[in-house]
Amino acid sequence: MLITSIGQGLLWAPLAIGVFITFRILDIPDLTTEGSFPLGAAVTVSAMLSGQSAVTASLLGFLAGCIAGWVTGVLDTKLHMPSLLAGILTMTGLYSVNMHIMGKSNVPLLTQKVLTNYLPQGWSIDLQTIVVGAIVTGVVVAVLIWLFKTRLGLSLMATGNNPAMSAANGIYTDRMVIIGYMVSNGCIALSGALIAQSNGYADIGMGIGTIVIGLASVLVGEIFLRGRQIWLRLSAMVLGAIIYRFLLTVAMGLGFPVDDLKILSAGILVIVICLPILQNKYRTRQQLNHYLKQIGADEHEASNRSLNRQTSPEGLLSRDSK
Amino acid sequence: MIGNNGAGKSTLLNTIAGTLSADAGTLALAGHDVTKKPIAYRSKWLSRVFQDPKMGTAGELSVAQNLTLAQQHTGSMSLHRYRKASQVAAYQALLRPLNMGLEDRLTTQVKYLSGGQRQALSLLMATLSHPDLLLLDEHTAALDPQTSQKVMDLTQTIVEENQLTTMMITHKMSDALTYGNRLVMVQDGQIKLDVRGEEKQNLRQEDLLTLFAE
Repeated sequence: MLITSIGQGLLWAPLAIGVFITFRILDIPDLTTEGSFPLGAAVTVSAMLSGQSAVTASLLGFLAGCIAGWVTGVLDTKLHMPSLLAGILTMTGLYSVNMHIMGKSNVPLLTQKVLTNYLPQGWSIDLQTIVVGAIVTGVVVAVLIWLFKTRLGLSLMATGNNPAMSAANGIYTDRMVIIGYMVSNGCIALSGALIAQSNGYADIGMGIGTIVIGLASVLVGEIFLRGRQIWLRLSAMVLGAIIYRFLLTVAMGLGFPVDDLKILSAGILVIVICLPILQNKYRTRQQLNHYLKQIGADEHEASNRSLNRQTSPEGLLSRDSK
Repeated sequence: MIGNNGAGKSTLLNTIAGTLSADAGTLALAGHDVTKKPIAYRSKWLSRVFQDPKMGTAGELSVAQNLTLAQQHTGSMSLHRYRKASQVAAYQALLRPLNMGLEDRLTTQVKYLSGGQRQALSLLMATLSHPDLLLLDEHTAALDPQTSQKVMDLTQTIVEENQLTTMMITHKMSDALTYGNRLVMVQDGQIKLDVRGEEKQNLRQEDLLTLFAE
């Protein structure tokens, strides 16, 4: 069960990384995800059915995601739409695009070689999945680590953190936001391409709930691995995707029907949002008690209580400390 | 530049910086027409220090990363690595004169610095690219009196050392009288008083107050 989760988690990891780029680096909640994920699957499966190799098809899926990201980016920056609305519009439009690409709502792969077929056939399915997932995710992580060490990467991070300051320092923030959307949705579509090959089909409905899966993976990853270095933050996303898959597998093992998975996903997201807030609250109280014990004052008990009430822990979803 | 609230000081500053677009007329920086150019383009010639210390720096990034962004206003799309070991010493040398201990905190995220430290860093960053025009938007208004004085002294030193053309908005009349060699008073979107050189030296706070009251 754990082995399967690792394999599946690695296939979903590019989705978590894509959501991380918009949500954490650019500070934008991007709903394009729900459309670019099945777009990647649709393009890849269609390309494979028309004779392209699995590698080429997956790259085409990635590029299709980049285009979807570009559209949202232009709607957001050039047409000045709120980013949530821009994402919703692209996502809705992509439904039709995906239907046109696939021709019908579910397209199975026939005898085409998927990425795992390039590996020795003696290996088990789980091992093949892990190896393919590790290679693809490894390449994505390596490229992004390199990107964020360049001046362009620094400009991206600055734009997400403080657009006014970035523009004042010569960064064309619109371009940066568009680039961020493109890289993000490219990764997300790549994840869709991998999942379609793993499942053996592309389905018009496979994007539903992906934004929740992505966000949950980001937050779960950050609970387990914290740090400022970019390699650590990206590794946290991979870990988050794997743990999230594991949680879902456990839930299914407990006998939940497949139809209930979406509400389970939503439930997990609620829990992982609340958990760090409670964690912070608990830590603040511990530190305060520790401090009060140090100055050895029982009479401060009363002020302790009132202080506790005033301490509002830093929200996970907000960046109150710019 | 001084003037009542709503006189148009900030509007003028924001129009020059590119945050607001001009309804009419042209705006030229160092001989380049920038009337319709975006903020990032104008940054080749001008720098700005905001009133809010949080605005001028990226809080999630380290001191060194912020300095890198400010050092060159071009090449923000470059695919070269930005971190070079040789820069550490150069950055430390830049930060040491600030006298705020920042030279030992190059890797600290800026959000952990105090308001005064952040504003001093903003000021340093704004002058790092040797701009043809430096805009100061009430940049000491959010600081306590002592820190405010320190940042003003620092401003004076940097501006004089680098011979920077500087435009400062302030509500403190004493600062307006002490610093700079030209004083402009704005009221209802019009220049009401424009004195320079010796005439400015002889100007007193009472004269300004009378003008304000009119």
